[in-house]
Amino acid sequence: MEWVLISRGCSSLISVLPPALERLIDDLSRLPGIGKKTATRLALHLLRRPAEEARNLAHDLADLHDAIGLCSHCFAFSETNPCAICSDERRDSRLICVVEESADLLAIEKTGAFSGQYHILHGVLSPIDGIGPDEIKIGALTRRVVKEKVAEILIATSSTVPGEATASFLIDQLGKTGARVSRLACGIPMGMDIKYADEMTLRQAIESRKTFGNG
Amino acid sequence: MALLHTPSVVIHVTDYGESDKIVTLYTLKYGKAVAIAKGAKRSKKRFVNKLEYFSLLDILAATGKYSSLLRIDQAELVNPFPSLRKSVDRYIGAMLICELMRLWTRENDCDELLYNLLIWSLEKLDCGQSVIDTIIFFQLRMLKLLGYQLSLSACVSCGSELSAASSFLFNPAQNGLVCKRCTSFKGGSHFPLLSMNTIKTLEMAQTLSLEKLSRLKFANQSARETVSLLRTYIPYLLQKDVHSWKQLEAIRMLP
Ligand SMILES: [Zn+2]
Ligand SMILES: [Zn+2]
Repeated sequence: MEWVLISRGCSSLISVLPPALERLIDDLSRLPGIGKKTATRLALHLLRRPAEEARNLAHDLADLHDAIGLCSHCFAFSETNPCAICSDERRDSRLICVVEESADLLAIEKTGAFSGQYHILHGVLSPIDGIGPDEIKIGALTRRVVKEKVAEILIATSSTVPGEATASFLIDQLGKTGARVSRLACGIPMGMDIKYADEMTLRQAIESRKTFGNG
Repeated sequence: MALLHTPSVVIHVTDYGESDKIVTLYTLKYGKAVAIAKGAKRSKKRFVNKLEYFSLLDILAATGKYSSLLRIDQAELVNPFPSLRKSVDRYIGAMLICELMRLWTRENDCDELLYNLLIWSLEKLDCGQSVIDTIIFFQLRMLKLLGYQLSLSACVSCGSELSAASSFLFNPAQNGLVCKRCTSFKGGSHFPLLSMNTIKTLEMAQTLSLEKLSRLKFANQSARETVSLLRTYIPYLLQKDVHSWKQLEAIRMLP
């Protein structure tokens, strides 16, 4: 633990750390949400645990890119191609849910409420960062919809400005294919008193209201 | 540590770690500012729907002890410009404006006229005015405010007057028009070409009040010539690429 104190107290003493440990800290601190301090704690933790644990972790990391690729059909990360969802015959291949990234697919799968297939865009339109339709999997989606005569596309991008703008673009593009295009409903969170909802959410909830009975 | 209270427009957003956001603002009172919003990605109340691109906010932020990074304490949504997310051409147009604001301005360097121009442009895009005209107006007026007004009255090399018969080229290095005779000496054949009609519209676009400006329209050819002028001139001045142009091209929005 002395190492941590020394390295934080005076940067010229950082060389007190063994080079292998320093390299690991460097690597770890490149991960999202991990700063130098957390990286040091993680590295020291690994050092204190049995060597076997670290070797297993290293093995899993080394395997990652060899074992996992993108499903050529829906672009999900998968060990098989096509992925388990695309090759599952019980799933409705005429219904596609479009999401920004893999974590969104996992969130929707967890609900158990969706029985179709997915299409992962791997991003949203972000012109300021140089990301347009050609940089994410939009062309592949349009081709898939036409080729497989998809009946309905459910657009489930986030309700951020780039997510909404990407949805608007997809609605335009996919509308031309003749398929039905729907958008994940946006509105009041379950269990929320409406007087505490913000204006944007409330406005969205009114616009995408649902009709019952004779409506 | 001081508390700052100012109207601001969000011109860039990035996630920071698991739960924070870093936003770049163009503020009325302090010019460009970069601020962190702790817990913005998770909190259901404080920042939801507010720290989004193009949003006009009234913010309360604290200055940092050791860096110029502000910490946002409160944000009140004044105008989300909701239409800018409903069509991709308006979205990319607004992004181009934000990208240029971010590239051109500095922190702690306020400019009320530039701030007003930003709001004016987002309002025009939001209420459905022509995207191309609006982004052209924004850029011409921004150049003027920053001291790079286009010199359009005569050839900047030989001083020869404009005549209806001739067309002119625009030389980025000289901020203005050069006649064909002068460009042939200087090897400027790649300079953007401007017809007489375009030069007249550009002059009006540089001088009319903002109120009258929204009634001015660029003819198709003039819009095309002006877009090519701006795509040459601004990256030349900035010595940087402006990404959003390429995306307007990708969705076939350019004249
Ligand atoms: Zn798949
Ligand atoms: Zn001349």
